Amino acid sequence: MAEVSRASRRGSNRNRKPKKNQIPFGVLLALFVVVVAIILNAKSSTLALFWITGTAFGFVLQKGRFCFTASMRDPYLTGSTSLTRAVIIAFALTTIGFTAIKYGYAAQGLPIPGMSYVAPISIATLIGAFMFGVGMVIAGGCASGTLMRVGEGFYMNMISLVFFVVGSLLGAHDYGWWKEHFISKGPSVFLPDVFGWMGAVVLQLLVLMALYVIAEKYEAKRGGAGH
Amino acid sequence: MKEVMLDCYGEACPVPLVKAQNKLNELELGDVLIVQIDHSCAMKNVPEWARKEGYNVEVEEVDDGEWEVIIEKNK
Repeated sequence: MAEVSRASRRGSNRNRKPKKNQIPFGVLLALFVVVVAIILNAKSSTLALFWITGTAFGFVLQKGRFCFTASMRDPYLTGSTSLTRAVIIAFALTTIGFTAIKYGYAAQGLPIPGMSYVAPISIATLIGAFMFGVGMVIAGGCASGTLMRVGEGFYMNMISLVFFVVGSLLGAHDYGWWKEHFISKGPSVFLPDVFGWMGAVVLQLLVLMALYVIAEKYEAKRGGAGH
Repeated sequence: MKEVMLDCYGEACPVPLVKAQNKLNELELGDVLIVQIDHSCAMKNVPEWARKEGYNVEVEEVDDGEWEVIIEKNK
């Protein structure tokens, strides 16, 4: 491909300063993570687990260029649904995983963990989701995306993080009022109660599969035409 | 056959992409657009968009966390 090589010879690579070798920093950082994990483990093994899973999650997000914001925005902006489909696959995997955990507890007659997240659905959910969607596109990252890019050293997301904290504090301050007057008015649905454990998993996977197919069709339709 | 630099340092996704799209529309056939970015997300979606449009694309990491996406308007 002669033309590609022509493109590759361009660029501002005339007087480029040599890059610093990042490997020593990486080794130091890995050691730091391990040392902190050992210190935390002395206090509580749960803390150490959170530390390791958090670090691993951040690593995967950054290296995978996984972005919930882009998954919602790119279909409109570029016609690309690759991240949208990645999120759908992630949902499908977590559906299976979480149902397995919950079913495990239910089958033994134990209280099911995480049931406090079965929150009522109301118009507040819709409005809140819409506001969050607008906000995350403007801020250039959702919650995890903002944290990940602060770690990358992207200044704009540091501003996002500050106001993310401010907004969360304000929200937490007034949450009781909202919950009492709006949120608790809605019905809360736990799918396995309605469709049974198997039915709930199958239904949710079917819906996700349908979304995946739609996303793929949509991308094919937008194709190379784009804007 | 001109070569245009587009400075998108410090711009978060999706601003570099939108700027690149608009800039490329202004260019003539055979021109080369060089988008300078330092946002990892734009590093993904700018080349992805340009490749899908069928342009020749090269990505180069010019410094730690800074990239140049070189797009040739070959059609």
